[in-house]
Amino acid sequence: MIELRADELVFAFPEVHPGAQATVNFQRTLRIPDDGQDYPLPPGLGRFPLRHVDDFGRAVPPPWLEHGGVLLPMYQAEALWLSFDGNYLDEHETDYPFALKIATGKINAVSGQPWRAGLHRRPQDYVVVPEQPWLDGYCVERGIIRQFVAMPLGAGYTAEEQVTGKAEFGGLQIMAIPMKREVFERRFPKIKPRRMIMRESSGDVQYCLSDFSMGLAPGGRMRQEISKDPFKLDDWDLAHASRCFVHICNSKDWQAITGERPPTEPPTAAAYTKAGMPWFDYYSEREAVAGSKVLAGLQSVATLGRKRRKKPLPENETMKVDRVINLRPVHLKGRVREYIC
Amino acid sequence: MYEAFGRFVRRRREELARERGGYSVRKMAAMLDIQPSYISKIEREEVKPPSEETIIRLAQVLEVDQDVLLALAGKVSADLRGIIVKRPQLFADLLRQIREAPDHAILRVAREIRDGKW
Repeated sequence: MIELRADELVFAFPEVHPGAQATVNFQRTLRIPDDGQDYPLPPGLGRFPLRHVDDFGRAVPPPWLEHGGVLLPMYQAEALWLSFDGNYLDEHETDYPFALKIATGKINAVSGQPWRAGLHRRPQDYVVVPEQPWLDGYCVERGIIRQFVAMPLGAGYTAEEQVTGKAEFGGLQIMAIPMKREVFERRFPKIKPRRMIMRESSGDVQYCLSDFSMGLAPGGRMRQEISKDPFKLDDWDLAHASRCFVHICNSKDWQAITGERPPTEPPTAAAYTKAGMPWFDYYSEREAVAGSKVLAGLQSVATLGRKRRKKPLPENETMKVDRVINLRPVHLKGRVREYIC
Repeated sequence: MYEAFGRFVRRRREELARERGGYSVRKMAAMLDIQPSYISKIEREEVKPPSEETIIRLAQVLEVDQDVLLALAGKVSADLRGIIVKRPQLFADLLRQIREAPDHAILRVAREIRDGKW
């Protein structure tokens, strides 16, 4: 089952294990320059608001209701990243492991393949939580991603349109698959309580969609590794998968649909850096997956714009980042890349 | 129970009559295709509440929630009965568990994100 709590998707599988729970939220962020250089990780500027599509049945396109799920607002050329969190179980001293498949416009963001059922290894088409704390974009090379940037569906920039030639789905698609209970209990047996550990809680177009919907397109390059799955493919409980369609509407349309004001536009990367605010790098010991050849072959928004003699990304000048905070896995629990005003 | 139903129907009809007119006993009976005297008897609590079908039409005319009106008549709609009868143990257990739960907790149970056809 999937619930929406405080602008966060909560995937829970109590029928598998009482602790089988993972959360996903969508962080607002700076758009890094799309100039061919590799940048560190930008900050999280708070969660995008999420609402049930069903609550706005008369205001959204019929295909959105058919897809179900939730909706969020983005400005054109705004960027986002996905933040993942597991459910830490003290007596097992681990988060309950999950495999998460992420796609944009039903094109897998890790493998570049069209959406298909199940999990696959060659190439790996999912991320593993808690090993993977976040995903900022399309996996184009080992250790390099291209940032998720919102563009209107139908304008030809999105990954979906570049791969399939169609503007059919847009948005984001997520599927969560928990580890099998017997595998979890064998791999992470209960330990005897030694001492109390205080931890923060993790709980807190074919459809004529083009006028309305946004899709995600590849933006600037960023250093981020997608960890290889350290478990066996058979460890995942595919009989208990849940999935969610996340529709993206232009922020201008958000108020018409929901009656709520959209979030303000984030600062530019240059303004943020000039103010002396930090960027981030993250290192883990895990082996990373190789990038997808399909995704590496996509043209970034700026490159396509140049070919079309258009300027789809305002404020795209190259910049120098001086202040970078290095993060390690131990830093992550409950405190992730957040810039606090 | 029936008293609550009759009083509620009368109060709501009079409210609508004040707000926009056209809600006399006679006019409402015509909308429902039943005898005016029967409406009067319902409102005066001289008869048992009508059938489920009539209560649902009455709810539409009075612009109130049909489940609320059925509950005032001591009834549960056929579709809700069908849901429970299909999986009696599961729903009986669920309803007993959430019997005392606050509204916000019950609403959370009902707010699962729906997956559709992609």
